[in-house]
Amino acid sequence: MTSSPLFQIEHLNAGYGESIVLSDVSLDVQQGEIVSLLGPNGAGKTTTMMAITGLLSAYGGTIRLDGHPITDKPAHKRVDLGVALSPEGRQVFPELNVEENLLLGSFASKARASRPRNLTRIYDLFPRLAERKKQLAGLMSGGEQQMLAIGRALMSEPRLLLLDEPSLGLSPLITELVYDTIPVIAAEGISILLVEQNTEAALAVSNRAYVLSHGRIVAAGKAEDLRDSAVLRDAFFGGALSGAAQ
Amino acid sequence: MILQLLIDSALLGGLYALLALGLVLSFGVTNILNFAHGEAIMLGAYGAFWAFTLWGIDPLLSIPIMLVVGFGAGFVCFRYVIERSLDAPHLNQILLTFGIGLILQNAAVLAWTGDLRSANPSYSMAAINLAEVFIPVGRLLTFTVAAALAAILYMWLTRTEYGRASRAIAQNERAAKLMGIDTRFVYSLVFAISIAVAAATGAALSSITTITPFIGFHLLVKAFAIMVLGGAGSISGAVLGGVLLGLLETTVAYYVPEGSGWAEGVAFVALFLFLLIRPQGLIGTRVHG
Repeated sequence: MTSSPLFQIEHLNAGYGESIVLSDVSLDVQQGEIVSLLGPNGAGKTTTMMAITGLLSAYGGTIRLDGHPITDKPAHKRVDLGVALSPEGRQVFPELNVEENLLLGSFASKARASRPRNLTRIYDLFPRLAERKKQLAGLMSGGEQQMLAIGRALMSEPRLLLLDEPSLGLSPLITELVYDTIPVIAAEGISILLVEQNTEAALAVSNRAYVLSHGRIVAAGKAEDLRDSAVLRDAFFGGALSGAAQ
Repeated sequence: MILQLLIDSALLGGLYALLALGLVLSFGVTNILNFAHGEAIMLGAYGAFWAFTLWGIDPLLSIPIMLVVGFGAGFVCFRYVIERSLDAPHLNQILLTFGIGLILQNAAVLAWTGDLRSANPSYSMAAINLAEVFIPVGRLLTFTVAAALAAILYMWLTRTEYGRASRAIAQNERAAKLMGIDTRFVYSLVFAISIAVAAATGAALSSITTITPFIGFHLLVKAFAIMVLGGAGSISGAVLGGVLLGLLETTVAYYVPEGSGWAEGVAFVALFLFLLIRPQGLIGTRVHG
C-alpha cells in the first residue's frame, strides 16, 4: 500500500437534520480492491453510501477520489468523476425497459461515447439481461433487477462501484449468481465498496472489511481475519449477547 | 350523423389532448401542478392574435414562434421563481403558480382590456364537404398541429437522452440523480417545454375560438379533467382523456336538447365522477406524493 488509495474517506460526519448518524468514519479502497462495510441494520451503512454519492451532504470530513476531494461536488457530477452506486432495494426505473435503464446508466457525457462497448460488456456479464432487453424493469424478478442495477451502475464506467445490499431479498442461489460477478468486475480494475448485512457472502469475496456499529468504525482488517471475530458478532448482536456471555 | 359526430369529436379531442399534454408533462416530472398553465395558453393566443392583427401573420405560422417564446419564458420562470418552491409543501407550490396566473391574467386585462378577440384568417370560415360530412378547415388544421406536436413530444420522450432522463425522474428521482442527471436542469427544461406547448396551443386556439384574458382558468379546469380521466402523469393518458372528453362533449351537444350549453359542464361531471369512482384514471397507476 505504497501509493495513495483510489478512494478515501477521512473523518466523515453525516446524518439527517439534527440526528447525526455517522461520526468520524474513515476508510479507504485501493484500485481493484473489494472492500466490505459490514454492520447491522441502522449502523449507518446506507448513510455512508448516500454521503459518498452526494445524495446526502456531509456535515464534516473529506471524501477523496484519486486524492482529489469530491465532498463539495453535487451528486450528478460525482458520477462523471467515476463513482457509481447500485442502491439498496435496486431502484430500477420500473416503467422503462432493461435497455433504457442501462442507457440511463451512461447518461453522463463521458460514458456516452463508449456506450455500445459497455452494453456488450454488461450483456456478457449478465446474459439474463441480454435475453430481456425489451422487458419492463418493474416486471422482472428481484435477482434480475439486482443484475440490472449493477449493470446500470457499470454503464457509467465507474472507478469506484458502490454496492448497497446486493443480496437483499434474494434466494441463496440467486445471491450466489450475483456475487460470482463481483470478483469479475474487480478484475477489470474497478474498486468495489460493498455494504452488506449478509456478512458471510460479503467476506467470501472481499479483500478487506470494515465493521460499522452505531455510526462508528469499530473494526477493520483482512476479510479472513474478521470472519469469526468477536467484534463482528458484537456489532450484530450488540450488548445482549456479549452481556449474557460475561 | 354518427360519422359527423365522430369527426367532430376527434377534432375537438385532438385539441383537448394538446391542452392537457403540457400540464401532464410538467406535473409528471417536476411534481408541481402548474395553476398558471391556462394563462400560458391565454398569452399564446394573444400573441398569435396580435401577430395576425398587427402584421398579418397567420396564426398557424405563429405556432413555431410561440413555441420558442414559450420555451424561453418557461425556462426563466422555472429557474428563477418556481424552482424555489421545489421542496416546499404542495400548498405553497399551488399558491405560487396560482399567484403567477392571477398576475398574468390581470396584466392581460390592463394591456388589452377584457374585450372578446378572435383572429380570423381567410380559412376560418371555410369547410370541406365530403358526401354528408362537414369538416371545418380551421379545426382540421388545429387538429393536425395538435397531432404533430403530440407526436414530436412522444418522440422526444422516448428517443432522446433528455426525454429518457425526464421519464426516469418521473419514476424515481433519487435513482435519476445516481445516473448523473442534473435533475434541477431537467425540471427547468421540462417546464419550458410544457409552457412552449401551452403557448402553441393558445396560438392554435386563436383562430377557432374567442379570446379574453379570462380563458385560462376555464382551460385549466378542462386540462385537469382530462388529466384525471386519463391518469395523472401519463402522456398516453392525456391523449386518451382528451379524445374521451371531446367525444363526451360532442355527444352531449348533439343529443341533449340545448346541448351545446350543457356540453361545457361535461368536464366537471367527468372530473367529479372519476375522482369518486376511479381516481387513478383510465390507465394511470402511479400516485405522486
